[in-house]
Amino acid sequence: MTSTTETAAVATQPRRSRLLGTEVILIAISVIAFVVLTVTTGGNLLQPGTIRAILQYLAVPLVIGLSQMVVLAVGQMNLSVGVLTGLSSVVAAGLMVDSGLSPWIAVPAALLVGAGVGLANGVLVVLTRINGFIVTLATMTIIAGLRYGVNGTGTYEGYSPGLVKLGRASVLGLPVVFLIALVVAIAVALYFRNTFSGRRLLASGGNPVAARLSGISNDRSLVVAHTISGLLAGIAGVLVLMLSGSVNASIGDDLLLPSFAAPIIGGVVLAGGVVSVLGTCLAAFVVRLVDVAQAQYNINPRWVDLVVGGVVLGAVLLSHGREGKDDS
Amino acid sequence: MGEATLTSAPAAPPQEDSTTPSGLPWWANPRVGLLVVIVALVILFSALRPSFLNVDLTLVPMQADLSVFAIVGLAQLAVLSLGHMNLAVPRMAAVSAFAAGLTYDRLHAPLVVGLAVALVVGALIGALAGTIITTTGVNSFVVTLALDFGLLGLVSLLYAWATDGVAFAVHPAGMDALRFDTMNNYCAGPVCGPPVPLVVPIALVTVVAVGVLFRRSRVGREMLMTGSSLRAARLSGIPVTRRIIQAHALSGLLCGLAGFLLAINNGAFSATIGDQFLLPSFLAPVLGGTLLAGGAVSVLGTVLGATLTSVIQKGLNLLQFQLDQLQILIGVVLLLALSLDRVRHVLAERRGVRR
Repeated sequence: MTSTTETAAVATQPRRSRLLGTEVILIAISVIAFVVLTVTTGGNLLQPGTIRAILQYLAVPLVIGLSQMVVLAVGQMNLSVGVLTGLSSVVAAGLMVDSGLSPWIAVPAALLVGAGVGLANGVLVVLTRINGFIVTLATMTIIAGLRYGVNGTGTYEGYSPGLVKLGRASVLGLPVVFLIALVVAIAVALYFRNTFSGRRLLASGGNPVAARLSGISNDRSLVVAHTISGLLAGIAGVLVLMLSGSVNASIGDDLLLPSFAAPIIGGVVLAGGVVSVLGTCLAAFVVRLVDVAQAQYNINPRWVDLVVGGVVLGAVLLSHGREGKDDS
Repeated sequence: MGEATLTSAPAAPPQEDSTTPSGLPWWANPRVGLLVVIVALVILFSALRPSFLNVDLTLVPMQADLSVFAIVGLAQLAVLSLGHMNLAVPRMAAVSAFAAGLTYDRLHAPLVVGLAVALVVGALIGALAGTIITTTGVNSFVVTLALDFGLLGLVSLLYAWATDGVAFAVHPAGMDALRFDTMNNYCAGPVCGPPVPLVVPIALVTVVAVGVLFRRSRVGREMLMTGSSLRAARLSGIPVTRRIIQAHALSGLLCGLAGFLLAINNGAFSATIGDQFLLPSFLAPVLGGTLLAGGAVSVLGTVLGATLTSVIQKGLNLLQFQLDQLQILIGVVLLLALSLDRVRHVLAERRGVRR
């Protein structure tokens, strides 16, 4: 459905075929893993409740993976995605609980917080000319402080029952939160495939010099990419709000590493210029299946990180093995 | 601190800015700026809270913390010299500390043996990371990120297997002395040492050793050249693969030392060792003027960067700032330091000094 493989105009043909290969492999892994899990758990996985749970908790990793992917597209990184997700959700919850505002105001406010912080990240990167990794490392600490500052160690709960109900609702057997994530993924895919702005980001990421010579402002690409990344983190924050029913200052702490895992497994290169929405979504699904397997088999949860690490490394080695060395 | 400015930049003279007439004004040197800020903050904090200069409450613990975070910074600096990153710093420290704890717990080994085990284990994991990077050509960020994931799971599995799940209960002989004693406890007749914790000399020796490595030794210079330009280094006959693996092994070794020292400071070899290392590992070198691009490092700057963060943390703690305000401030300091760096670049370009 979200099948788009977008490569910058400047990228070479082998890059594209490598990406397609990654997606095919990921589809195969997803299907095989799902079938194996289904068979070994005696069909337990196909129960409507189980499928709903799998998809429900896929929503946030998926959106957060896309949030990282957008900045990777321009050759940047965003370390603040996790804490920004937390900040957006805490701010929205605070507006609803403390200020008594309706979700119709709080949800847009969360998105605004995300996009605003993303914009600030982008502007800082452009103004200081410092590696985005370091800039977002600094803003990550600041945001973590702000996130904690909203409500301290307290927990917000009992906000907008309607929103929480929506988070647990399903349409045609698919959870609403998952459908939202899917719509976001399609929007991101269309953005990179069909809009001038999206193509410009890929051109800037693929080859900044060529992009500049063709009249593209790389600075603007950086700011746009960071803003979209922040907006997506804001959306993830709203999804957390809908899913959990209570939020506190620790939201988002465990999202940073998965945010890199999904796009990297999905075949997005760190150097920029290449994105794969489908690959990122599939990778998020594969990582989710590791969680599911842990729950289904009652495995010690500590194994999950070990396996995910292995999967990330394995996926990268696999794709590089086919391509051969290209950088240091 | 007695040693000279340990800024190293092979083949690229502009780094010796402060000493050359054609270079930058002295105030644009990030290390001078850091020193000024540190002194100003110490004066400010002492004025606001005289207990900031209290030896037992503030100065001794601060030196112990500082020793750990300077080493953590150096662990990152070792690979920044190549233009690489090590995101597995926290978990390399954790696994090394586990290895040391296990040695004490099962073999009842003396303190030094456990330290050696921690260093070796750290270096081996680092070398593994370096080997994966060089043989596959995959970005160091990705490799160490995946490694961190893997080791994160491994550490908790190991502690679950070997201990009650949280920490080793063992206390090797000498651990408490290393933890609580200062040089003040050791007297030659009427003359006692300064109130400096015993972990400080360990850290100091390490700092000097790393400084000498990058400034004077062939291996260190070749690491920097590799970071400066991989192609040029390879064409000049530098064994770049070996240097990359060595730099990562050094990073792992320093992680091991940091993990060991933190365990000593905490009084226990526990599963949470290293959890807080990732941010400081970048903070210290970057504040000190080491760039992510590779090819140049500042060991003294890293120590100053670690000092600044320790002073800020301790001072704001005494002023009863909350955790959140502390984090915001540290982030802002980092951004300001970066902006200063930008000013430095602009000035350098205006004066026609091309990097």
